Amino acid sequence: MNALDYVVLLGTLLGIAVYGVWRTRGPRDLKTYLKGDGNTRWIVIGLSVMATQASAITFLSTPGQGYEGGLGFLQNYFGAPFALIIIAAVFLPIYRRLNVYTAYEFLGRRFDSKTRLLGAALFLVQRGLGAGITIYAPAIVLSTVMGWRLDATIIFSGSIVIVYTVAGGCQAVNVTQKYQLAVIFAGMITAFVVLVERLPAGLTLTDALTLAGGFKKLEGVDFSLDIHRRYTFWSGLLGGMFLALSYFGTDQSQVQRYLSGASLRECRLGLMFNAVCKIPMQFFILMLGVMVFVFYQFQQPPIYFNRAALEHGGSGRLRSLEAEFAKDHAQERQQLLAWLNAKHAGNRNAEAAARAAALAAHERGEGVRAQAKAALLAGNSRTTTNEADYVFITFILDDLPHGIIGLLVAAFFAAAMSSKAAELNALGSTTTIDFYRHLVARAATDAHYVAASRCFTILWGLVAIGFALFANLAENLIQAVNILGSIFYGVVLGLFLVAFFLRRIGGAAVFWAALAAQLLVFVLYFSLSISYLWYNLIGCAACMLFSAAIQAAIGPAAGHEEAAPPP
Amino acid sequence: MPTPPNESDAPESETTGLPGLRTWRSVYVLVVAVFVVWVGLLVALARIFS
Repeated sequence: MNALDYVVLLGTLLGIAVYGVWRTRGPRDLKTYLKGDGNTRWIVIGLSVMATQASAITFLSTPGQGYEGGLGFLQNYFGAPFALIIIAAVFLPIYRRLNVYTAYEFLGRRFDSKTRLLGAALFLVQRGLGAGITIYAPAIVLSTVMGWRLDATIIFSGSIVIVYTVAGGCQAVNVTQKYQLAVIFAGMITAFVVLVERLPAGLTLTDALTLAGGFKKLEGVDFSLDIHRRYTFWSGLLGGMFLALSYFGTDQSQVQRYLSGASLRECRLGLMFNAVCKIPMQFFILMLGVMVFVFYQFQQPPIYFNRAALEHGGSGRLRSLEAEFAKDHAQERQQLLAWLNAKHAGNRNAEAAARAAALAAHERGEGVRAQAKAALLAGNSRTTTNEADYVFITFILDDLPHGIIGLLVAAFFAAAMSSKAAELNALGSTTTIDFYRHLVARAATDAHYVAASRCFTILWGLVAIGFALFANLAENLIQAVNILGSIFYGVVLGLFLVAFFLRRIGGAAVFWAALAAQLLVFVLYFSLSISYLWYNLIGCAACMLFSAAIQAAIGPAAGHEEAAPPP
Repeated sequence: MPTPPNESDAPESETTGLPGLRTWRSVYVLVVAVFVVWVGLLVALARIFS
């Protein structure tokens, strides 16, 4: 990166943050601070929901997924439209009617205080750790590639977010997310256009798609019923719907975004915007990765995309592998050109032969890359084997012009900041509303609660930064936190599904059922070796079944309504 | 300690304000239809360039 890139990067990030503080300046009551000014339109809600979900690692890592596995990862999002429809039709009208600040307030109204606190506590544990990862994950990649200090990168991005989130609350998050998303898409679209232009002369977009299809990178839908396959239409539709229902419907970082809507209509349209746009957005990001793959078939990529690991682990063996890889890559490039020439000439036999030769050369090259990866891993135990995260950033730094590099790096930081701001906003709100106002100061003034919410937001911001700094010590922390999230998410979703759909079940039954389900998930986690994603389903199903069983055992539930608020 | 119920949504809960899509049910059907079209396009893309 040169001076121009740094000007673009700092100007973009600080400009948006300063604008967010300026736009939301002045005194704010509790409702305005936690839910915005009540005039938020559907497009702002829609963009805000989208920006909250799309963290920096989405934009760094997803093109790498496209590069390695093609469009198949897209199936993960197939359940999202259906989950968003259920939330818009069932969850949202109830949240709006009860006029709640947090999703867990609804649990208190539907069941009792202890169930509300349980739901809120589960959210705080999982999202509190998640907020640390939101800044750690891109910081580790960017600092490794750029040579920046990891701690400085984490503190810089984390501090900016704390300042504008604390200053303007929910409205500042919504206002800044709109521009952050604009920067993200400006960067990604620019990268796509430059990428297509950088393809070899004479290679059309159709040719590029032909090559991508030949390498099976365009297979976005797999109707296989094989449960061992990671991404299929069915696992995406069913598993993805469960995950999306849990995330969009019960996670306060998302619920707070759409509760800020001016009306039920605006909230619903914001969610439907995401239901329609989520799949195309992910398709575009994955396709960017597929095009990077095509690009690197004509321009030799590094033998291992994490250059820092390559520099630290360089050896004679690695150099000989690099020479071997260069030879295979040159052969593959030659065969690819022969394949396209034969295709344009309509010579099917020659086309098939060149294609087979190109695929064989590619396989040889991938074999050499695998050997290099193994050599690096053997030489340095801290070398990460997940190099997909480094594919897109390597392309950006090596092949994009200055200025655009700054824009893309700004886009990654903007994505990290937009997600983290929403998370901090939600953590501060939940701590204030579900714990502080509910248990400690029940009849204080609005100004007092706003001050408390600001303090809790700062506290959670510092916890997230501290966690991200500590995360440097652990190699597989991202996976560990994903596992942690899956362990808790299922039970939280179970609480809400019981609340919405099992009307005869009361607070006592669901509370003890949730605890038992959580215990079951813990026991299963330590005794089974299944994919951690299954714990979402197990936790939810166990919570619902145990609730019904306990309610049947203890008899009909008495009606419950939490105490009315002070005037 | 909940806030008072929000009554302002009741009259508008059935109106979408969208041209040609008067009920929310029709909006949801459209979303599902868009999803089906996307899946069809993805299948077609893979077949055309296989």
